[in-house]
Amino acid sequence: MKTKVLMAILAVVIAGLIAVPWIASYFYVFIFTEILILGLFAASFNLIFGYTGMLSFGHAAFFGIGAYATALVLIHLEWPFLACLLVSMGASALLALMIGFLSVRLNEVYFAMLTLAFGMMVFAIAYQWRSVTNGSDGLAGFTLGSFGLGLDLTLANPSVYYHVVLGIVAIAAIVLYVICRSSFGMILKAIRQNPERVSFAGLNVRTYRLVAFVIAGIFAGLAGGLIAPFLRVASPELLHWSMSAEPILMAILGGTGFFLGPFIGSAAFVLLETWITTYTESWMLVLGIILALMVIFFRKGLLGTAIDWWMEVKK
Amino acid sequence: MKKMSIRNLLVAMTATATLGTAGTSYAEDPIRIGGLYILSGSAATYGEFAQRGINLAVDEINDSGGILGRQVEMIYEDTQGKASVAIQAARKLVYSESADALVGLDSSGVAQGMVPTMPELQKPLIITHAATPDVTGKLCNAFTYRISVNVAQNMKAAAMVAAETDATKTDATNWTTIGPDYAFGHQSWEFFGNYLKEINPDVNLMSETNFPRFGAEDFTPFIDRVMDSDAEGVLISVWGGDLVNFIRQANNRGFFEEDLEVMFTVGAATEVLTALGEEMPEGVHLSTRYWYEAYDNDTNDRFVKAYLDAYGNPPSYNAEGAYAAIYAYKQAMEAAGTTDGPAVAKALSGMSMEAPNGTVTFRAGDNQAMVSPNWGVSGPMHPEHGIRTLTNLQIFDGEEVARTIEATGCKL
Repeated sequence: MKTKVLMAILAVVIAGLIAVPWIASYFYVFIFTEILILGLFAASFNLIFGYTGMLSFGHAAFFGIGAYATALVLIHLEWPFLACLLVSMGASALLALMIGFLSVRLNEVYFAMLTLAFGMMVFAIAYQWRSVTNGSDGLAGFTLGSFGLGLDLTLANPSVYYHVVLGIVAIAAIVLYVICRSSFGMILKAIRQNPERVSFAGLNVRTYRLVAFVIAGIFAGLAGGLIAPFLRVASPELLHWSMSAEPILMAILGGTGFFLGPFIGSAAFVLLETWITTYTESWMLVLGIILALMVIFFRKGLLGTAIDWWMEVKK
Repeated sequence: MKKMSIRNLLVAMTATATLGTAGTSYAEDPIRIGGLYILSGSAATYGEFAQRGINLAVDEINDSGGILGRQVEMIYEDTQGKASVAIQAARKLVYSESADALVGLDSSGVAQGMVPTMPELQKPLIITHAATPDVTGKLCNAFTYRISVNVAQNMKAAAMVAAETDATKTDATNWTTIGPDYAFGHQSWEFFGNYLKEINPDVNLMSETNFPRFGAEDFTPFIDRVMDSDAEGVLISVWGGDLVNFIRQANNRGFFEEDLEVMFTVGAATEVLTALGEEMPEGVHLSTRYWYEAYDNDTNDRFVKAYLDAYGNPPSYNAEGAYAAIYAYKQAMEAAGTTDGPAVAKALSGMSMEAPNGTVTFRAGDNQAMVSPNWGVSGPMHPEHGIRTLTNLQIFDGEEVARTIEATGCKL
C-alpha cells in the first residue's frame, strides 16, 4: 500500500516536471534544467559513493571532459547533438578507465587523494592548453545545431532544451537504476559493506570497483555533455575540485542510501542557492550550516529522512 | 557591501511583489535595467565604481522625469568574473526580474561567453568595460553594443605611444608583457605586438611572456623574470586589485628603478590610483579608457562635479562608461518610443550621443562606440584628489584607432 502511494507521488512529480514550462515562470525552466543535469551528475557519483563506498574527489574531471567534448565537437565538427553526447560519454569513459585503473587499487583517504590529484591534473591541462581549450576563458560561442535522429527540435529554445534534458536524464536514470538493482549493483553494495568477504567469495573486488568507476564516469560525462550547451560555455571551473565537491554535497543532502536521493539533493542545492543568493551573497555559509545539521541529525538525507518519517508515523 | 545587501533585499522584495505581472508593463511601472558586474573578489571595486556611475545617472534621469515618463530602476547581479555565472544571471534578470535592458560586464572572458546568448534573450546589452575585440568582432550580434574602448583601439594607441619612446627609437628593442592569463591579457599582447610591428618592423617581440593567473596575489616571480630578462619595454595589462598588488610588489623589488619603458594598459583607472596614492610611481605610461580631466565639455564638467560631490574621489572610466550607458538607453528608448528589446537595440545602431568623453557614436557595422583611448605619463600627486596626475596627456581619435569594419570580422 505504502509503496503504491510512493509510486503515485513519483508519478505526480514526473508529471510536474514535464509540465514545468507551462506552469512555472520562465526562469524556472533554467533552474530545473540545471537541477536535472546536476542531479544526473550527483546520481552517477552516488554509484561509486553511496553504493560502492568510494569517496572520489575528482568526479568533476568526467563531468568537465564531457562538457569540453561536446563544446569542441560543436565548434569544430558541428555534429548533431546526440552524436556530441556520445563523444562526451566516450571521452569520459576513456578518462575514467585511465584514472580508475590507477586509483581503485587504493582505499579510503588514499583513493580520495589520488582522485583529487588526477582531477586537478585534468583541470590544469584545460587551464593551460590555450590553443585547444582556450585556457581560463573556456570554450564559448558555439551554436546548437540539429538534435539528430531526424527530429526537428530547436535546441536553442530553453523549453525545448529542458524537455530534451528531461528525456535524456530520465533514460539515463532508468539505466543507472537497473544497474544498481542488478546482481552487479548488489555486489557493489556488498563491497561497500565488507570488501574482504566479497574477495573471499572469489570475486575480484578491484575489477568491480573499476567497472563501477567507469560507469559513473560515463554518466558524469553525459551530464557534462548536457551542461555545456545549457551554460553555453565549457570552462575550467567545471573541472575544478570545488565542482567535484558538489555531487558529494548533493548526495549527502538528498540521501546516499536512496537512488533518487542525489536528485533531491540537487534540487535542494540549486533552489536554495537561487533563493538565498537573492538575499545575501554568503550563500555558502547558509549551505554549510544546513549541511552540518544534516550530517549531525539527519544522516539519511532529505529523502531518506522523509521516507523514514512517513513509514514510521503513518502506520 | 552591507549597503549592497539591503539594496538586493529591496530589489528581491519588489521582484517578488511584481512576479505576477512579469512580462507585461504598465506606464506607471518603472523601466528596469539589469546590471552585471563583478561585485565580489579582487576586482569588486570596479563593480562598485560602475554602480556609482549608474546610480548617478539614474538619479539624474529620475529627477528630471525618467525615461518615456517612467522611472528607472536598477537590478544588479554579481558575475563573479565567470561566464557561466554571468549567463545564468542575465537569464535571471531578463526572465525572472523582467529587465528591459542590460548593462555591464567587466571581464573579456565573461563577455566572450555571454554575448553569443544575447539574441536569445532579445534584450539589448551595452558593455561598459570588458574590452575583448571579439564581441564587436567575430562574435558581434544585433543586441550587443559597447560604449567603452576595446583592446584593439587601446593597443593601437599603445603601439603609437610605444613607438615614440626612447626605447623603441633606438633600433631593435625587446618588448615583453605581463598580463592576466585570460582573453584580455593574451589579446592585449597580440594586438599591441601586431600594431607595433606595423609601425616599426625592427622591434623584437620576446617569446618569453608572463601571464599570471587573474587574482594571483603573488606577482614577484613574474616581476623578477622580467627584471632578469633582456626586455627594454614591458606592456602590463594586469588590472583591478591585481594591479594594486602588482605595483606594491614591483616597488619592493625595485622594478621601476630598472631601465625599462613601462606601459600600463589600464593603469590610470582611478580605482587603482585611489588605492595606491603615492605608491604609484612617477614617469610610467598609464592608459585609461576615460580620463576625467581630458575632456572640456558641459556633460563632463557636470558629471565630474556630481561624482566628486557624491563620492569624494574622481570618476573612473568604468564609472563613466556605466553612467553614459544609462543615458544611451534613455536616448534610444525615447527614439524608439518603447522599451521593446529589439526596437531599442535597433535604435542604438549608429546612434550618436553626448557623453562625458565627447560625442560618442555606436558604429553601425560592429556596434562599437568610437571612443578615444587616453594615454599619459604619471606625474605629481593631485593636490585635492589624492591620486597621481597624468602629464603629456594624449587623447587619441576614436575612429582613427579603431579597426575597419572588415578587419573586425563582424557581419551584421
